[in-house]
Amino acid sequence: MATGLSAIFMANRPALLRFLRARGARDDAEDLLQDMWMKLEAKDLGPVSDPLPYLYRMANNLMLDRYRSTTRRERREQDWAEGAGGVMADPSEDIAVDDRMVLNEQLNEARTVLRDLGPRVELVFRRFRIEGVGQRVIADELGLSLTTVEKDLQKAYRAMLSLKQKLDTE
Amino acid sequence: MINEEALGWVIQTRDPEFSDWDGFTAWLEADPAHASAYDALMLADSELDSFVPSEPVIMPIAANDPGVPSRRPLRWIGGGAVAAALVAAVSLGVANRSDIYSVTTRPGEIRVIALDDGTKVELNGDTSMRFDRKDARFAALDAGEAAFTVRHDAANPFRVTVGDAVFEDAGTVFNIVRTKAATRIGVSEGKVIYNPQAEAIALPAGRALADDAQGLRVMDIAPAAVASWRQGQLVYSNAPVAQVGEDAARSLGLTVRFTPGAQAMRFTGTIRLDRDPARFFAQAAPLMGLSAVRQGDAWLLKEGNGPQN
Repeated sequence: MATGLSAIFMANRPALLRFLRARGARDDAEDLLQDMWMKLEAKDLGPVSDPLPYLYRMANNLMLDRYRSTTRRERREQDWAEGAGGVMADPSEDIAVDDRMVLNEQLNEARTVLRDLGPRVELVFRRFRIEGVGQRVIADELGLSLTTVEKDLQKAYRAMLSLKQKLDTE
Repeated sequence: MINEEALGWVIQTRDPEFSDWDGFTAWLEADPAHASAYDALMLADSELDSFVPSEPVIMPIAANDPGVPSRRPLRWIGGGAVAAALVAAVSLGVANRSDIYSVTTRPGEIRVIALDDGTKVELNGDTSMRFDRKDARFAALDAGEAAFTVRHDAANPFRVTVGDAVFEDAGTVFNIVRTKAATRIGVSEGKVIYNPQAEAIALPAGRALADDAQGLRVMDIAPAAVASWRQGQLVYSNAPVAQVGEDAARSLGLTVRFTPGAQAMRFTGTIRLDRDPARFFAQAAPLMGLSAVRQGDAWLLKEGNGPQN
């Protein structure tokens, strides 16, 4: 572990703990921080350009993973209770033909939703969500204000998340 | 219902440059429900992966009645095309998609578009382009080939978007080809700037640029060879024969295939376009050191000069 990162971790331990608590970790916050420390030590990280945001992001990802695995377990249990079958399909397995058709349908719907947002919003969303480009860079590229990029992203996200909700309940 | 504030933080924290972790912590601390709203949206966001088309898809545009430029709202065009339209549309503050219309040609069909500013665009066969009624300085080449004779205006340059690339004229006659695998431009008069905001490569007359599987390259081209299809000729200098096949397919409206051995060959010279495929291949195949066999609607080119092969 880079000594710089270690020093920054120690110096910001209280702030990170506070973040984890606010993030919903409650009593597990200390343990999670310990996990982070172990992970940092196990990995031989090269120099990190922006150490503090890096640590926060790591903590945030830990919480996301936690939430994800809890939700998945709950969904599995619910499926089981509803008699939908206790065996979860392995996502790596080949998808059945009709599932594939459903997926294609969904892709087409998503395409339509994106397209209907207008070309600028679609491009901003693609650059951000699919290509992982930051908002400031996108604003520079397209000669837009940061506020416009933010608004476009909100608009696209709202549309895509509503579509997702609709597809989930179908 | 989507929690707007939580959505705002989802977007901010997904930004690779996000650094306001203190502000985020303060928002989380304000209400324990904030964390769950954020988590739920982040999970939904990660699940978008399964149905957001990751590759911009260009959907085929049906050929239209010859002679009548088709005017369609932009939403009929696929994602990649939309993205391409944008660079130019945004730079002028015009993003009203109803002003964009597309023009397509069938294989073998040539169409000339005169734009209001005096610029002439000649579309080769099997080509689709978009223009903007409100902005004569914008054009997008989505597929195929077109030659541009641009009336130069330094204050308001003419821009052609081709996929993610932008070509900006600096007083020019030039030709652009876009296939699935490559974009090629040749300049016969004046100068074109490739991606003025990024690479900003200047292409004077006699220079060509190709962007394909081998990357971005700049090379020489005889000005007379640029857009020679307008004179019924295809002119090449050390070009892969596959490129000749693509060009012939566009101009004659047929499918050209190569055997693997033939595919590897290159060609230098001039081929006369002939509306009659049999006559065209009888002339063209021997020039390339190949022989052509008709297979239904397609033509197969293979090694060897012998017609009986």
